[in-house]
Amino acid sequence: MPDVSKMKKPDVKVVLLGDMHVGKTSLLHRYTERKFKDTTSTVGGAFFLKQWGPYNISIWDTAGREQFHGLGSMYCRGAAAVILTYDVTNWQSLSELEERFLSLTDTANHDCIYAIVGNKADLTDPKAQLSPNSDSFSEDQTDIVEDRTEPQVLSACPTPPASPTSLSGVVPRKQVSREDAMALYGRILRYKGLDEKSSLPADKMCFETSAKTGYNVDALFETLFDLVLPSILRKRHENHESPTVDLEDCRGSGKRVRSSCC
Amino acid sequence: MFILILFVCSNWDVIMDADTLQEGEEQPMRNCAPPSDSEAPVGILAPSLPLLRNHTTPEPTGRHDFVSVDEDQISSLDPSGDTKVELHSDAGPSSKLDSEETDSPSCQRSVSTPPSGREDVPTDPDQSDSGEFVVTMLAKAKLEEQGIGVKGRSSPLIEAGIQEASALASHRDEDVTADSWRQHRKHVFVLSEAGKPIYSRYGSEEALSSTMGVMMALVSFVQSGDNIIRSVYTEEHTVVFLQKGPLVLVCVSSSCQSEQQLRGELLYVYYQIISMLTQASISRIFEHKKNYDLRRLLAGSEKILDGLLNLVDSDPSFLLAAVHCLPLVSSLRDSLSQILQKAITPNLVFSILIAKNQLLTIVQEKTVIEDVRLEPADVHLLLNLIGASSAFQAGEIWTPICLPLFNPDCYFYAYISYLDPPECTVCLLLLSTDKEAFYAVAECKRKIEEAMTAQNSLSLIAKAQSYSVSQVGVSDLRHFMYKPFDVPDNYRQLTQFTSPEMEAPYCSDEEKMRLLDLYRYMHSRIHSTSRPLKLIYHVAEKETLLAWVTSKFELYTCFNPLVTKACAITAITKLLRWIKKEEDRLFIRYPPKYSTTPNPSKSSKSSKSEQQDSADNGLSLL
Repeated sequence: MPDVSKMKKPDVKVVLLGDMHVGKTSLLHRYTERKFKDTTSTVGGAFFLKQWGPYNISIWDTAGREQFHGLGSMYCRGAAAVILTYDVTNWQSLSELEERFLSLTDTANHDCIYAIVGNKADLTDPKAQLSPNSDSFSEDQTDIVEDRTEPQVLSACPTPPASPTSLSGVVPRKQVSREDAMALYGRILRYKGLDEKSSLPADKMCFETSAKTGYNVDALFETLFDLVLPSILRKRHENHESPTVDLEDCRGSGKRVRSSCC
Repeated sequence: MFILILFVCSNWDVIMDADTLQEGEEQPMRNCAPPSDSEAPVGILAPSLPLLRNHTTPEPTGRHDFVSVDEDQISSLDPSGDTKVELHSDAGPSSKLDSEETDSPSCQRSVSTPPSGREDVPTDPDQSDSGEFVVTMLAKAKLEEQGIGVKGRSSPLIEAGIQEASALASHRDEDVTADSWRQHRKHVFVLSEAGKPIYSRYGSEEALSSTMGVMMALVSFVQSGDNIIRSVYTEEHTVVFLQKGPLVLVCVSSSCQSEQQLRGELLYVYYQIISMLTQASISRIFEHKKNYDLRRLLAGSEKILDGLLNLVDSDPSFLLAAVHCLPLVSSLRDSLSQILQKAITPNLVFSILIAKNQLLTIVQEKTVIEDVRLEPADVHLLLNLIGASSAFQAGEIWTPICLPLFNPDCYFYAYISYLDPPECTVCLLLLSTDKEAFYAVAECKRKIEEAMTAQNSLSLIAKAQSYSVSQVGVSDLRHFMYKPFDVPDNYRQLTQFTSPEMEAPYCSDEEKMRLLDLYRYMHSRIHSTSRPLKLIYHVAEKETLLAWVTSKFELYTCFNPLVTKACAITAITKLLRWIKKEEDRLFIRYPPKYSTTPNPSKSSKSSKSEQQDSADNGLSLL
């Protein structure tokens, strides 16, 4: 009997969506591993469990490739938060969010919260080139020096998409302003039939981040986790009806703590 | 039966040498002398095939059947020199076999009506057209590769892309007009029937679109005459074509591999594409829209195909069509199998444990495996997928994957997780037929992880490693590959092979590749469609090789160059005895099974929901 339910049931589900090469995996990797490294194109979806205080947050890092589009709605089922990611230097990646990814979120929770995240901000915004964490500062600075000599590497995608952005020249231009993202946020609320006044404000839910330097990445995830807290508590409360859960909780959480600090 | 050969220029060194080799080896054990050069005394190192290929002084007189065409005229058409186009009739394998059986070594099978010059190649005007057409197309393709013909057509965007990309040292962004691009040992191109580029191993597909257009023109021209183009031989390259459904795969190789081997490699590329999209959805896409750009769906998968082609070049598993498992004390392997056997959930069909990219154990669903056997090629594709997607190893991956030889039209759902982060050498792969089973399958992983911790399995696995040939205790033996065939007690078992580490002198990548090339050569002789051999004793430049195929096994051995034939035979006897003694450790002897559902084979083969899944995954766009 205990065998059956040994797996730590995650308290809440967060899903990363967005076109390929916008940096979903890199964002998550920056947040969980505190590092930026070359990634390959994600296959299907990757599941991570993040220990956040006493809570277990599952994060699905999905593939942006059209090939796996059909799986999106499965990954989104029951999600409490969806991070819609685009690349600030690629207008197309923002419009893909609306055209291709928004409909996938139909299977998410009714009270699901949405964040719109423009990644690769370091390419266009000088302040995003500085890491917010002093401890990893030196490491990041070498990254930046490297960037100056080899600006093409900045695109942070192993295979640059054949979009005008990657071909237009050495310095990528910012193609998506924060206002564009906020406007999209408004449209998402309308699509979901939510009232703009009672929902979270666009200003709070639109982020510009850099997985490369770490700019705004922690802020993004921690803001979201704070916001899904009510939904965690509600779920925990429901679970309290079952007496066996507490036992597993202790056992499971001990294990999680270990794995979360790697 | 219709075979046409078109000669643009007669350079026959390759074929001639092959003939000599065949003659020399018809009684392989009779003569110790190098088969390729019967006049060389024993002990003098005969050049191996790759070297023969580079002979620049062939004897054209031996090929008097063919009148060579004026050199200047040719070079204007085809800058690289000599071109031979070989077309086989569409009539199926049996007639092909016929044709090949009739060939006599000195008289090329392909020449029923030897042309006495390019102008009067064929008597039939249609054929004449085809000849000129083909030659012109080839020549054009070459010119375009050199950048002569493309300038006007390629868009400024593409050129800008190439320029920018040249700074990145990625193969994808190579300058396709550069000499270095043309020097690659093996190019692979995939295109759609409409001539749309899908994949190129080197260089961007956009930059190569005109070249691919030429390839498609060749294919469809030959097709219009109810024929299938199979290969084109030039002095330096072999061009092999493979058409599978709406996809055309082309390999341009300067390696010495046989056409058959190259076609096998193209098939792996095709299967890898199928494993990502399924055959059914690819056909459906192209039925709806002939000129669909499949790169939309394959975007991001280039690395998987790149990885596959690198593996195909460096890993003999693909050549032998067998899987390599990590040698493991049988008690440990059994205990690992039992752990997997206990951690099951409905609709789980395969549990596979992998370490260092080699198989540790595999447990299979009973009824599923009664239906269809798991083919080595499917395992290769899985291993390649794992290798290519290992960038972010901390997570648990859940992805649809099709096993093309198992069922080309359906998806399995693969759960992939490393058991030993952060080293990430031991990987668990669980395959389910249920798309929604992630949490249940992830739960199986926890059980497996727990049991392995309890038995300290990970540290035991970490000690396991491939073996050294010195353990066999046979002097002069440098390396071998042994592949046992199905025997009654392991019928339906996954085909496996065993092979020691490559040690000195095969340490550098070049030397490893050289040995593999020798094996490939031996393999091509053994499996030649026209003249298969059972036993070859081959004295190469720096080593002596012996390949032997029986009803029970296929064996390739590599010895010191000065070994005598008698010594080699004795050594092989000893080697076989050693393998027999060690087989419990070297192979997965009795792959264990489990039963997870009353009727899982149905669900994996023909259930409606599965079919829908496949539609769902690829093709929401249609």
